[in-house]
Amino acid sequence: MSDDSVSLTLPLLRLAAGSSEVTTLYRELRKPLLRYLVCLGLTSDEAQDVVQDAFVSLQRHMASGGNQENMRGWLFRVAHNQARNRQTSYHRRFGETLDGEKDFPADDATPEQLVLEREKLRRVAAAIRLLTESERECLLLRAGGLRYREIGEVLGMATSTVGDTVDRAMRKLTEKCNV
Amino acid sequence: MCDVEAKLIAWLDGELPTDEASAVERHVERCQDCRRCVTAYRQASETFHAYCDAVMAAEARRRVPRWMPVLAGTVVAAAVILLAFPRTRVEPPLVGPTINSASMPAPAATPAKPAPRKATMRGGHAAPRVQERVAEMQPMDTAIQIAIPAEAMFPPGAMPNGINFIADVTIAPDGSVQQVRLRQ
Repeated sequence: MSDDSVSLTLPLLRLAAGSSEVTTLYRELRKPLLRYLVCLGLTSDEAQDVVQDAFVSLQRHMASGGNQENMRGWLFRVAHNQARNRQTSYHRRFGETLDGEKDFPADDATPEQLVLEREKLRRVAAAIRLLTESERECLLLRAGGLRYREIGEVLGMATSTVGDTVDRAMRKLTEKCNV
Repeated sequence: MCDVEAKLIAWLDGELPTDEASAVERHVERCQDCRRCVTAYRQASETFHAYCDAVMAAEARRRVPRWMPVLAGTVVAAAVILLAFPRTRVEPPLVGPTINSASMPAPAATPAKPAPRKATMRGGHAAPRVQERVAEMQPMDTAIQIAIPAEAMFPPGAMPNGINFIADVTIAPDGSVQQVRLRQ
């Protein structure tokens, strides 16, 4: 999804127009956060609400003189906890096999490429379903660009545990995807 | 499989200390098995990213715009109002039961020509404002009923005294007289 395909709500527009550190973080992290939340199972609207709330919280946090180290991990942790609170949709879709033509149209691909691509996604979806919850979350946060230490802060795990979990999850994924 | 293989994913993620990362890098350059593993891990990572993007794109396509329910509600409400209250022709009230021009006081003397207005910003909008009012009145047909004494229409003695005629005047939207119907 392109940046423009998600409409910005008013508080976020104000953030995007500003020039503070929050604005820099917003521009850098909005899309990875949205993707993480949607992959956790939130709808696009829910994800936008959570991202907006997370940045509003960040602004308050910084205005009140809170710790300004590792703001990326802080934002993901806030967003992650808010997503957890939305229990009805959490993990609703991630790992589902995408509906080929409806969910994954490829405009420029040849029919052969399309079949191969869909088959690849079908395999990865099947592999994701075999992962434990923490393995999925670790991989998703890793895909969002977080370091192991930051992932540990988001999920409340030791950095070494994150390393082991990512390693295990990647091996499962590789085994199933590269059959 | 060599021992270094267990560190490959952390090495790819840049999570190893510098000296350890250098050692793994040197090993991968020599070890074909590890290079094959690295390629496989990279491909799996890319596929995982592609799947995440596909999930997000699918969700975006599935998404109903937030304003859609509001728009739908407005359209339904408008349809209900139109059905419940079809456009009716508004008849303005008649101007008095009958106006006897004979009994009316003579109009005060008015200047033959109105004093020219000063050219002000406000005055500049006067003409469009009048046009706007005419436009507002367009949907309505105006009917005026005027009582005219017979002696005002006919020579003296041609009609008995005390007889009046009623003129129903229909005014066109542009202010001109569209129809005049005389009745007694």
